[in-house]
Amino acid sequence: MRKNHYLFALTLICVLLGMIIGIQYNTVKKQNDLAENQRLTELTATLKKVQEENEALQVHLDEKEKIIKDYESGQNYGATIENLQREMEQLRIFAGLTEVHGSGVIVTMNDSSTKNGGDSNAYLVHAEDILGVINELNLAGAEAVSINGKRIVGTSSISCAGSIVMVNGERVAAPFEILAVGDSDILQSALRFPGGVVDNLAPWGIEITIKKESDVVVLPYTQTVLWKAPALEQEVVG
Amino acid sequence: MIAPILGLICGVFIGVASKVVIPYGYSGYVAIAILACLDSVLGGIYAISQKQFDLKIFISGFFCNGILAVGLVLLGNQLNINLSIAAVVVYGSRIFNNFSQIRRFLLNKTQKQIIVVTEKEE
Repeated sequence: MRKNHYLFALTLICVLLGMIIGIQYNTVKKQNDLAENQRLTELTATLKKVQEENEALQVHLDEKEKIIKDYESGQNYGATIENLQREMEQLRIFAGLTEVHGSGVIVTMNDSSTKNGGDSNAYLVHAEDILGVINELNLAGAEAVSINGKRIVGTSSISCAGSIVMVNGERVAAPFEILAVGDSDILQSALRFPGGVVDNLAPWGIEITIKKESDVVVLPYTQTVLWKAPALEQEVVG
Repeated sequence: MIAPILGLICGVFIGVASKVVIPYGYSGYVAIAILACLDSVLGGIYAISQKQFDLKIFISGFFCNGILAVGLVLLGNQLNINLSIAAVVVYGSRIFNNFSQIRRFLLNKTQKQIIVVTEKEE
């Protein structure tokens, strides 16, 4: 009789345990289904985004095709000239022939004032250091960059010439003031990220300050470009 | 001994058929609770085999172990330690332990029966 009593309790508990297991089985199964559903909605969202992008590009293409048609037909001079002027304006900004101003950062680099022994060259700002900074700024989407008033354009060079630095073939000496127009937060964080340019120069005591400005003015490229390539036998003055 | 196993199977079917679903995020706790309760049930069966079964100990162990396991995992989540591993290891090893004891008991019992039968035949 007593044994039956135990068995009854055990059976009851077992039924309870079984019910919990069954419910858990349901839950796990439903969660797996949910995970699949989630993936499905994710993919649907991606597809929709790509489709929208595609549509936007199609509109862009139509616009361009219309412009080309205008050019080809030779009619509608007003629109053609307008289009060309707008394109020229964009290209001038891109080539660095116009003054650009807007929010950005001012980076000042100066030679190290500490002398801890060793190679004294290591405590100077080198062309490579400036190149590194310019690289990071361009990567972070800077729209216009200049070093001590020398605008950085497609054909720009930054090279080392003894104790001074040459930018666009002109002598530039420390302190170097690098102006960059763009999103000042992004530009600043691009230079400051751990293990980045600023961190690499820190051991040498090179003084580098980054200042966010609401209005940075980057001067245009002012040098004369002489095209000596045989295909272009003419002088272009920029 | 067959009644509890039947009960377990019936319970599983009732649970699946009930279509009840535990809210998202709690299923991890329930899994640990199941492990703890399974251990208690096996412990109970072992106690019966040793004729030491106490209903109060069994019932309290069943619920308290489950609650403790869930509480432990809950605490672990608050402290960012995965204590569910500890619960799984402990209850897992205990389940194996209890099961091996029950197995031995059952084997011994059948052996004794065989001996008794052979003795009678002689």
